[in-house]
Amino acid sequence: MAGVAALSDGVARVALELPLRANLSALDNIALIPLYQRHYGISESTRQAQAILDQLGHAEIAPLRDPDMTPAQRFVAKLARALILKRPRLVIDRPGAMLYDVPYPEFIQQLAAQDAMSGIWEIFDFSWNRNLYNQALLSE
Amino acid sequence: MHFLAASIESLGAKLAGWFTIGYGTFAFLTKASLLLLDRTTWNHATFDVVIKQVYFTAVQILHVFLGYSLVIAWLIISIILSTARDFGLTAFASEMTIRVLVLELLPFLTALFIALRSGSAINTEVALMQVNNELDALAHCKVPPMQFEFLPRLVGGVISVVLLAGLAGLSALLLAYLSIYGASIAGFEPFTHTMAKIFDFRIVAGLLVKCALFGLAVTLIPLTAGLETPKKHFMVPVSVLRGMMRVFFAIVAIEVVSLALKYI
Repeated sequence: MAGVAALSDGVARVALELPLRANLSALDNIALIPLYQRHYGISESTRQAQAILDQLGHAEIAPLRDPDMTPAQRFVAKLARALILKRPRLVIDRPGAMLYDVPYPEFIQQLAAQDAMSGIWEIFDFSWNRNLYNQALLSE
Repeated sequence: MHFLAASIESLGAKLAGWFTIGYGTFAFLTKASLLLLDRTTWNHATFDVVIKQVYFTAVQILHVFLGYSLVIAWLIISIILSTARDFGLTAFASEMTIRVLVLELLPFLTALFIALRSGSAINTEVALMQVNNELDALAHCKVPPMQFEFLPRLVGGVISVVLLAGLAGLSALLLAYLSIYGASIAGFEPFTHTMAKIFDFRIVAGLLVKCALFGLAVTLIPLTAGLETPKKHFMVPVSVLRGMMRVFFAIVAIEVVSLALKYI
């Protein structure tokens, strides 16, 4: 797993050890990226962040702070933050550690199936969880 | 012999530790100062965070702070006036009040107030950010923590201490005038004459520099202490304890140096 942490700058990671800023809302956490990386104004950055949450079908988590979110909501906020980075690769690192309250292969599949989602999401998980993914693919 | 060697070793380790802390703090301050001078730092987002910091550090507590400073000012003025009357030194009461309260005590108490309220909060928050990997997450997202988290706190702390100390000083001056001359304009001329005699350029500049250094101490030291925290939750209280002790010594050192420069 150390290999995942050492991935290059071209990779956007969703991982347990990359938490959200605890005193900011989900929306502010996502808006930080266009604000500081691309130097957009506050209103434009917030609009872009809200658009990503809308695309993922979880607009309702926008005002929530990290401690007020369920594990699934927190995962969506982290995923939205990774998506707005617009990097060539998106890696979800050990989703089971973050999504312990939902059957996660199906949950990630639902998020990826949203209309506006594009690109390839790579999942790094323990080999003994392979069956979970197989079951999700079979049930599709 | 063994005892002597162990003592020297322990002293050396302490000196090396203090040097490392001092160097770290100085390096952080240099980095922050360079970033402060960079035009690209000053975008809408940074201004917004600075304004929020000034609000949380100074505006949110304004009523409590003013009440606290007025009570202390009233007590000190009463003590000075009654002592001056006892010794027949009433003519010097206003000068004594201004020197003791406005130049020394109120800026010092303002720094202590901000250190206890905001300095400890900054130390805890940065230590938790460090322990919870939030800084690593910001680095992964290429959001500069210095620009987003640290610099606004430094700038906000300095602005807040200067403004609060200034406000406390002005309210103490008003209180001193009312206590000495009452609600009449008869004492306006001698009072303003005394003020003009005390507040020459050197004193005003010194007061501003002292307040700015206080503001820097109550934000810079907690920030660097928080960043030094090892990634273990049980080290957060230790980090705050160390940071606040350093803040206390720094505030006292600034005050002592300022007094020495003025009166020795």
